[in-house]
Amino acid sequence: MALIEFQAIEKHYVMGDQTVRALDGIDISIASNEYIAFVGSSGSGKSTMMNILGCLDRPSAGLYHLNGKNVAQLNQNELAEIRNLEIGFIFQSFNLLPRANALSNVMQPLIYRGVAYKERKKLAMTALDRVNLVDRIDHLPNQLSGGQRQRVAIARALVTKPSILLADEPTGNLDSRTTIEIMKLFDELQQEGHTVIVVTHEAEIANHCHRIVELKDGKISNDHRPDGVS
Amino acid sequence: MLFALMESSRSAVASVLAHGLRSFLTTLGIVIGVAGVIAVVSLTEGLSASVTDQFQALGTDSLTVRSYTPIKDRMKGIQSRLNDSDLSLIETRVEGISSITPILFARRASQVRFGSQTTFSQIFGTTQAYQDVAQAYAEQGRFLVNSDSKTRRRVCILGETVREQLGLPRNAVGEYVEIGKEWFKVIGILEPKGELMGFDQDDRVILPYQTMQSLLGNQSQTDIQIQLTVADQSNIPVVVARVRSLLRKAHGLTREDDDDFRIQTAEQLSETFDRIITTVTLVVGGIVSISLLVGGIGIMNIMLVSVTERTREIGICKAIGAKRHHILMQFLVEALLLSLLGGIIGLLLGYGLGVLIAMSIPSFPPATIPLWSIVLALGFSAFVGIIFGILPAAKAANLDPIDALRYE
Repeated sequence: MALIEFQAIEKHYVMGDQTVRALDGIDISIASNEYIAFVGSSGSGKSTMMNILGCLDRPSAGLYHLNGKNVAQLNQNELAEIRNLEIGFIFQSFNLLPRANALSNVMQPLIYRGVAYKERKKLAMTALDRVNLVDRIDHLPNQLSGGQRQRVAIARALVTKPSILLADEPTGNLDSRTTIEIMKLFDELQQEGHTVIVVTHEAEIANHCHRIVELKDGKISNDHRPDGVS
Repeated sequence: MLFALMESSRSAVASVLAHGLRSFLTTLGIVIGVAGVIAVVSLTEGLSASVTDQFQALGTDSLTVRSYTPIKDRMKGIQSRLNDSDLSLIETRVEGISSITPILFARRASQVRFGSQTTFSQIFGTTQAYQDVAQAYAEQGRFLVNSDSKTRRRVCILGETVREQLGLPRNAVGEYVEIGKEWFKVIGILEPKGELMGFDQDDRVILPYQTMQSLLGNQSQTDIQIQLTVADQSNIPVVVARVRSLLRKAHGLTREDDDDFRIQTAEQLSETFDRIITTVTLVVGGIVSISLLVGGIGIMNIMLVSVTERTREIGICKAIGAKRHHILMQFLVEALLLSLLGGIIGLLLGYGLGVLIAMSIPSFPPATIPLWSIVLALGFSAFVGIIFGILPAAKAANLDPIDALRYE
């Protein structure tokens, strides 16, 4: 069974007396260990897709099975639990807690799982080691470079051992050299067995992935494998 | 639950420390409120404890009967009196009295002179029994004996203050002082008693009762006080009732008339005083607790600002799995910490203030701080913290994760 299963997912926003169909009947199935990119211009429904995939928002209609569980109609607290267990977020603007150092940032999601401090620290150190930042654990986010911040964010996503790594324009705030570095890290993580979903508007980033889904006006307009990927 | 509380406390401490000055200013309202309450309570408690001690020393088994004229009658020129026949009535017709004595005050404070020194003092005549009733003993010389009164001897007993002010030697027995143009031989000096509620108990001159009567002249105009002690303290209500009914009958009062005298017990005095202190404490406490309320609103205000400031952080926490109660707890504990911090600082400050005030007023008893006031002050600050923390915390907990993440 697929890891992610969308069936006729719709998301409507009411703007004044107008209803905007941000997602308009999406059917998609994503298997475990896939490396998939959602692309599209702004207004195509990319962000909404990411919010629903990440269980930050509920669809207006349709079924969303994640790991075999229908999460489409869960309440906020249940969604929070799903996010904590299943999803590792990586954001364009890193979204680290500004007053917490790298280690505390990586430990943060484990607090909501009720993991004790010692165990939290051990797991966080392992995750930080994976992204080669063990020597920066005492640094506050503003003492780190953009690439380092994004690696802290990736460590925070990894520490909970989630089903999905969900990256939203992960290189949007990075220079080209760091972009390559981060994308290489994603490639490795996928090879290690993680399911990586990237939402982006950059073709270059999307081309790293093994499957590209193009969105247009809230619908899937194209679902293909890029050149050179079999 | 404990785990969540510990984690929330950890982040609350970090957050309070991160904004040191702001946190301090936020708690200032609570600090001032609690400091005010504690200062007032510590002062009044100290005062009350020392007054209670002094009343205990006075003897809780003594009664004072004095005449009482309502203002309405006084304006008509009517003056209630107690006289010797009232005294002998009580003496002979009331059971359970161990000693009884009349006290006859000079109509006005009189001048006492020794050599070139003069002073004004409270002068009264009484009998030998006074020393048992008022526990006033001679430190030097002797107290009055019955023959002093019977033979109207011109002798007197001085309080320590009077002796000092007249410049009499330490052993003043045998000296002569002039009181109202008459010469009196000093036969004794009283043991010093100190002050009671600001009255110097050593500023007095005691004469034999009948000597005083003859000095005052016209017997029908005199008004005496009667002091007595009862043998058994539990008997006081019975004695009071008996004295009252006897005096009412003797004074020819009808059922509609009010008493033209008052019977006071030491306990009554101390109770009255306690009541005054309690009222003062309540009134001041009430005023000061408004400051606590204002302090609470200050905390709520800053917490709301803090929630807005940290909207994005809240969004991040929610995205990585924080549930409603995690966020709620975090902000509630932070508000609680702020208010408790204010409470503790206020407690120390208030106690310091109380001690300082008590020290700067001469002869004011030392400030004491009862446990209940500590518990109350901290409990009330915690209460304020929780009550005024709920609104900001709920606001934070109810934020939508997507909106919060997008917040700039």
